[in-house]
Amino acid sequence: MTQNKLIPLAEAVRRYTWDGMQYASGAALPIGSDAVAFGRELLRQGRRDLHAIFHCSSQQLNLLAGAGAATKAECGFTGLEVFGFANGLRRAVEGGRLALEDYSNLAMPLRYLGGALNWPFVPATTNIGSDLQYRSAFAPDQYPAQTKIPTVIDPFSGRAIGAFRPLQPDLAAIHVTLADVRGNSIMLGTEWSRFELSRAAKRVVIIADAIVDPGCIRQFPNLVRIPDIIVEAVVYWPFAAWPQSSPGMYDVDEEHMNLMNKALATEAGTAQYLADYVESYGDRDSYLDLIGRDRLAELARTETAFLLDPYRPWILSPDDVARLTAKGDAQ
Amino acid sequence: MSALDYTRQEMMAIATGREIKDGELAIFGVGLSMLAGYFAQAHHAPNVRAMTEGGVFGATPVGGLPWGIECNRLSVNATSFTNALDALGFLVGSGRCDVGIIGAAQVDKFGNVNTTGIWEGEIGETYRPPKTRLPGAGGANDIACGAKRTVIMVTHEPKRFAEKVTYISSPGYLEGGASRDRFGFPGGGPSAIITTLGILRPHPETKEFQLDSWFSFSSVAEIKANTGWDLKVSPDAHLVPEPTESELAALRRVDQTGALRKKG
Repeated sequence: MTQNKLIPLAEAVRRYTWDGMQYASGAALPIGSDAVAFGRELLRQGRRDLHAIFHCSSQQLNLLAGAGAATKAECGFTGLEVFGFANGLRRAVEGGRLALEDYSNLAMPLRYLGGALNWPFVPATTNIGSDLQYRSAFAPDQYPAQTKIPTVIDPFSGRAIGAFRPLQPDLAAIHVTLADVRGNSIMLGTEWSRFELSRAAKRVVIIADAIVDPGCIRQFPNLVRIPDIIVEAVVYWPFAAWPQSSPGMYDVDEEHMNLMNKALATEAGTAQYLADYVESYGDRDSYLDLIGRDRLAELARTETAFLLDPYRPWILSPDDVARLTAKGDAQ
Repeated sequence: MSALDYTRQEMMAIATGREIKDGELAIFGVGLSMLAGYFAQAHHAPNVRAMTEGGVFGATPVGGLPWGIECNRLSVNATSFTNALDALGFLVGSGRCDVGIIGAAQVDKFGNVNTTGIWEGEIGETYRPPKTRLPGAGGANDIACGAKRTVIMVTHEPKRFAEKVTYISSPGYLEGGASRDRFGFPGGGPSAIITTLGILRPHPETKEFQLDSWFSFSSVAEIKANTGWDLKVSPDAHLVPEPTESELAALRRVDQTGALRKKG
């Protein structure tokens, strides 16, 4: 059994992703904990025609859509909350380059749950009666749509309800706060749907802000909502959610959230953004240099820092993690 | 205007907050609706049982308007973190949630909400991309289906108040009358549309929204002129009491960064 699953980010993307795949992000959304760094690496390796499964869009899907790498998406919400519309995604949808299938923020985790349980469909009385049920971007000629959320009869009450299609994405790249080298993971802040998604996806890669000694996992087993046995690989990537936030670790980078979204509003701006913030770094250190060490220190001075206190004694240094990555069994 | 100086956005938030009763199980969306909800908690509903759709419980915003429902400004003092299936499913979809506050880009006379897109004309038989893509349904559809009642918060402009929305992202009373009933939603539908000019409430039978009340700085004529359908006026239509000093103080404690003051 593989004990040490640490691999470099680039290797994880090379090994577990391909053009045309169904790719899911596991995150606290839309502007929280999300492995935005994994999306940057998908672009660096030129992945195309992705079918994105995002509970909510986040800057990651904004970037993938804006850069033209995603051509299909299924989402519950596609804005950036108080930061406004997701301009890259919006441009791709309005231009007809990305088919966006709309669901709601309950429908998406219900569909993960159905995938996790291997149910044929998930019954629910949400989304029905609205255009979420009647309009389908994947079957645009059907009106009302018959294949998106078909109506079925509840065998107990006899009333008409919605049948939701379960999701079992090819890969879920799940952002977590802490993981050990085997993939046991702790999330600080809301999980959103990472618990269900981790069971629904065919494969799970964990992207962790910090790697902890296994002692941490044995101290807080109740908080380990993603156990190692369902994890393929672990990537250590500090500030993986940047410019979004990770509770306990760092705050949202307000300036870069706006800069990025403004850039993604145009094709020229997107090209510039890719040159400046996707293609421009070589490794973890140069990624952190790009953000700026002063900026990182400022973002890490979060009022939520106390949430991390119980775990700090077990957090491994970057050098320790580099040594462990070099001798990982997955290498 | 009165001696108190406040913005239309602040009046809208206070009027929305007044809809929340102490002790209720409540879910707040992002942005201004969240400020309205936490204003109620800070002012007259200290025991409101508030949650956000991502499963953040027991939190009150610190440092101003949270950037999102999973923002560190809320995570900083939460008492429980769970997940969306819990908040939107177990507690809202089940029918247990008393009240939800949702926003709208466009709302129609039966309280149906569009937050998905703006199309030129009708969409037609074939679904086509919108001219302007909006953020989508989010949790609002689930709240509109599941919460016992919803309060819709929206800036009052003619383009936002349509006879019929182009796309129903979150159901109100659909085609009016009893048309909502055939879907068997656990939730009862919108109890009010609260705007920057006044308050609209549904007629008990037709479910058509009519003018219930106006603010001290607005009028029946102004509200009718800014509504995209022929707005009926309730026989009991009245003036909404102005914010009190303690209401404004509570709202501004929650709205530390002045999000509601900037927009006038």
